[in-house]
Amino acid sequence: MRKIFALVLLLLAGSFVLPANLHSANTVRPVSPRTELSVVRVSSTNQDYDFFRPWAKKNPRDFHGLGAVIAGNRVLVTAQLVANHSYVELERAESGQKSAAKVLCVDYEANLAILQPVAENFLGNLSPLELTLDAVVGDRVNVLQLESNDALVSTPGPITTIEVGHYQLEGAAFLLYKLSLALQYREGSFTAPVIKDGKLAGILMRFDPRNQNVDVIPAPIIAHFLKDLDGGSYQGFPHLGMETAPTRDPQLRHFAKLPAGTGGVYVTNVIPNGPADKAGLKTGDVVLELAGSPIDQDGNYEEALYGRIAFVNLVTTRSFAGDKLPLKISRDGEMKALEATATHEAAGNYVSEPYIVDRPPRYYVVDGLIFEELSRQYLKEWGGDWQKQAPQRLVYLDRYQSSIVPEGRKRIVILSQVLPTASNIGFDDLKYLVVTQINGKTINSLDDLSAALTKPVDGFHKVEFEEYPKQIFLDAAHLEENDRTVVESYSLPDLKLLD
Amino acid sequence: MRFARITHPASLNFPMRRFRLFYAVFVVLCLLSVEPSALHSQIADVRKSVVRISTTSQDPDYKVPWNAGSVTRSIGAGFIIAGPRIITNAHVISNSRFVTVERENDPKKYAAKVKFVAHDCDLAVLEVADQTFYKGLKPLEIGGIPQLASSVSAYGYPIGGERLSVTQGIVSRIDFQTYTHSAVDSHLACQIDAAINPGNSGGPVLQNGKVVGVAFQGYSGDVAQNVGYMIATPVLQHFLKDVGDGHYDKYVDLAIQTFRLQNPAQRAALGLKDDDTGVMVGSVVPGATCDGVLKPGDVILAIDDNRVASDGFIEVENDRVEMAEAVERKFKGDSLKLHILRDKQEMDATAVLKPAWPYLIQANAYDVKPRFVVFGGLVFQPLSRDFLEVYGIDDLRVRYFYDQFVERTIFLQHPEVIVLSQVLPDPINTYLEEYKNSIVNEVNGHPIKRLEDLAAAFAEPADYYVVKCIGQGRPIVLERSAVEAARSRIKKAYNVLTEQNLTPVPSTPPTDFSPAVATTANAGLSSGDGAAAR
Repeated sequence: MRKIFALVLLLLAGSFVLPANLHSANTVRPVSPRTELSVVRVSSTNQDYDFFRPWAKKNPRDFHGLGAVIAGNRVLVTAQLVANHSYVELERAESGQKSAAKVLCVDYEANLAILQPVAENFLGNLSPLELTLDAVVGDRVNVLQLESNDALVSTPGPITTIEVGHYQLEGAAFLLYKLSLALQYREGSFTAPVIKDGKLAGILMRFDPRNQNVDVIPAPIIAHFLKDLDGGSYQGFPHLGMETAPTRDPQLRHFAKLPAGTGGVYVTNVIPNGPADKAGLKTGDVVLELAGSPIDQDGNYEEALYGRIAFVNLVTTRSFAGDKLPLKISRDGEMKALEATATHEAAGNYVSEPYIVDRPPRYYVVDGLIFEELSRQYLKEWGGDWQKQAPQRLVYLDRYQSSIVPEGRKRIVILSQVLPTASNIGFDDLKYLVVTQINGKTINSLDDLSAALTKPVDGFHKVEFEEYPKQIFLDAAHLEENDRTVVESYSLPDLKLLD
Repeated sequence: MRFARITHPASLNFPMRRFRLFYAVFVVLCLLSVEPSALHSQIADVRKSVVRISTTSQDPDYKVPWNAGSVTRSIGAGFIIAGPRIITNAHVISNSRFVTVERENDPKKYAAKVKFVAHDCDLAVLEVADQTFYKGLKPLEIGGIPQLASSVSAYGYPIGGERLSVTQGIVSRIDFQTYTHSAVDSHLACQIDAAINPGNSGGPVLQNGKVVGVAFQGYSGDVAQNVGYMIATPVLQHFLKDVGDGHYDKYVDLAIQTFRLQNPAQRAALGLKDDDTGVMVGSVVPGATCDGVLKPGDVILAIDDNRVASDGFIEVENDRVEMAEAVERKFKGDSLKLHILRDKQEMDATAVLKPAWPYLIQANAYDVKPRFVVFGGLVFQPLSRDFLEVYGIDDLRVRYFYDQFVERTIFLQHPEVIVLSQVLPDPINTYLEEYKNSIVNEVNGHPIKRLEDLAAAFAEPADYYVVKCIGQGRPIVLERSAVEAARSRIKKAYNVLTEQNLTPVPSTPPTDFSPAVATTANAGLSSGDGAAAR
């Protein structure tokens, strides 16, 4: 999966262009008239935040895609396309007419975003695409792309697999169509609508040209997204807050006192205060049935349209935040009935946020010491191989936060780096250290840090770390003066961002 | 001298990624600094003092731990000192099964035995039973530390020929260096600019006819040119004095981390004058030398009456050296005077020096058989440097336990970290492949602190063996009847010669180490998360 992701990045960055070859590729045919399908070009200029210099944005980069026009004067694209956007623009392919667009709603977990043109009547005569929810394995669909000469190109191919698979963010798993087709790179290949019988079956999320694998965000996920949005305030896809393992191993089944011939998944982790925890589920329970569907030993249920598919689909696709899901479990051989309320876990509820997009990272600079809050986005500054390259202590904290971070800890504040000045001499090598206390006050967020720094002890600020060197002291009396030096020497626009 | 290493935080993150010094048995180079005639007479003398050492060794096989391992042969050098004794590098004879030595101008090969070996400072003493070997040999005298930029000559048997080789160079640097043989120890070493190659190891480096070092490691040519290292003579003298009682006790260790006190605010806050004196104690390894003597936040002002400068250096014999040097010259059981500042009060403290075992998880191990337990086709092995390198495990948790074993005092909860290293496929364990690289926390309710605990738990009669691993909510369940039925089948299919080896190795926690004693562990976020294992 990581390989595929890397390739998509290449496409995104536009660092290579495969030649368009309309004539030799017999799977590709122009669609005419092109107005029969409602698509618009989308260009997004994105600027990522620099988590090492949290007051700065990185260089702007342009991304292109093809959006699907849907009801309500809206355009559907992947969330990735507009991540950290500074400016989004739509273009009517046939007329070249352009309009700025605003992002109405974005869900980075499901990788979907809704745009709306700023210019009135911009989408004019384009009739909105309807969703087709019943695509199954074997159906032929078409991926739409635009030539640079505005010819609409449609590449047909079969749906080879429908499964619960990984999306862009680690840990995000939703229903996914996999197609097998020879897609060629064209400007705007990214975020391409996938059409079945003139209706929207999904949008392309990633493409691996070597294996000709295309991953598509399917219409049922899009429908969920739109329905959630139309309900008023957007909630997001729900979860149950538990991890499970198969129960095929007969020795495990005997131990868990599971009758032969039954299914069930073994609960391996229950996220504290999550829906499963609140429902009373415990590690070691075996979930036999969820929302009325029996779960087999591999964790699949029988879905009318797709056959056997991972039971998590019952939660993500089939349920909405707030829905009550009955569970039938076996605990030490006894059957029990529980009820869990599916909820969406906002990124901000995690101690180490899984993603920080469209907003700058919080930070606090004092005496040249840059303090930030640990997040997975911060760790991703180490690049595609961040899980190996980033400081392992921090990767470990992020990965296992649900089991090792004590309850009540809101955030993990780290000393990210030091901007060397005369006053912090001797501290310049310190980096990636977890802050535990400042002036005797426990630090659970940058707000705590900010508050603690108003109360020096005996003229000094004592900063304590989990790691070596455990404690350092800052001169409280000259802090303002020292901060001014930092601002001037390193041209900081602001010493902190706590909003 | 571990604390010298960890005063440089940059090296902390990735202990595995050390310099790739290549040291596979190479000979030292001699530099002919003396005049030609003097040199000729020196060479004539040296021929009576240098020996060629051939070693047949058998390296342990961590992937098939019940096997004896593959046999390899190597060549190194050695030299005669008073006694007479033969000095060489530990790495020349480590894991040896058979050693022979040869003299210059004598066709005979003499069988030799390893009398003493010190893997922490890469030195060994060999002896030959046949007394005729020593006839006509001339012991070399051991000199001091050569002057910087002075010329030295290295002797040995490097690749390129069979006979004695001599190379020469100058002393380019005298400093603490990581001894790559163990990978965790640093001691004094001299860098010389002469070409050093495999086969030079263990050979003497001479100046004015006296030994001023033992050639032992260098960079391979694709890393750096003309960088070779020799063990400085104080290290050799320390080793010889240690074994004087017939037993090698190992180097002792302060086992603390110190922080340089160069920041004015830091100094003022701790109550120090602006006199460039003192380093702050960052952490103290529980159960080691300074446990109960020093506390984090203490400032070490002097060590054995030597003033400690704010960069952690002391002055010894008119030279500035790392304060580690004060400990380097001492032995197990010696005491060390510390003058410290605690809570702005000056006070004296005494530490009784001892070696520290927790660091050894990251050390190469030699002359040992891998510890392991096989049960139900599952192979369990303790985490160690050799183990990790052979398996190439990049599992985050395993790596974390390894890297942070001392720093995060993981050894308090898991004195020995037991990893499910392999699943020998059999119907009994067909669903367990994905639990490879898990760390065992508990078996049938018994906490697993060391491999002996695991062997005992499996030996206890029970209907089920329920193995709980850290971070794995689903236990590994083995039914006794199934294990018994599979036992001979697995032994036969995989040629498992023995099902366990519990013989201690250097990194094995001492039997009297009781994790309960040390409760001063980090109460923080992420010490070994055994307690939080779900």
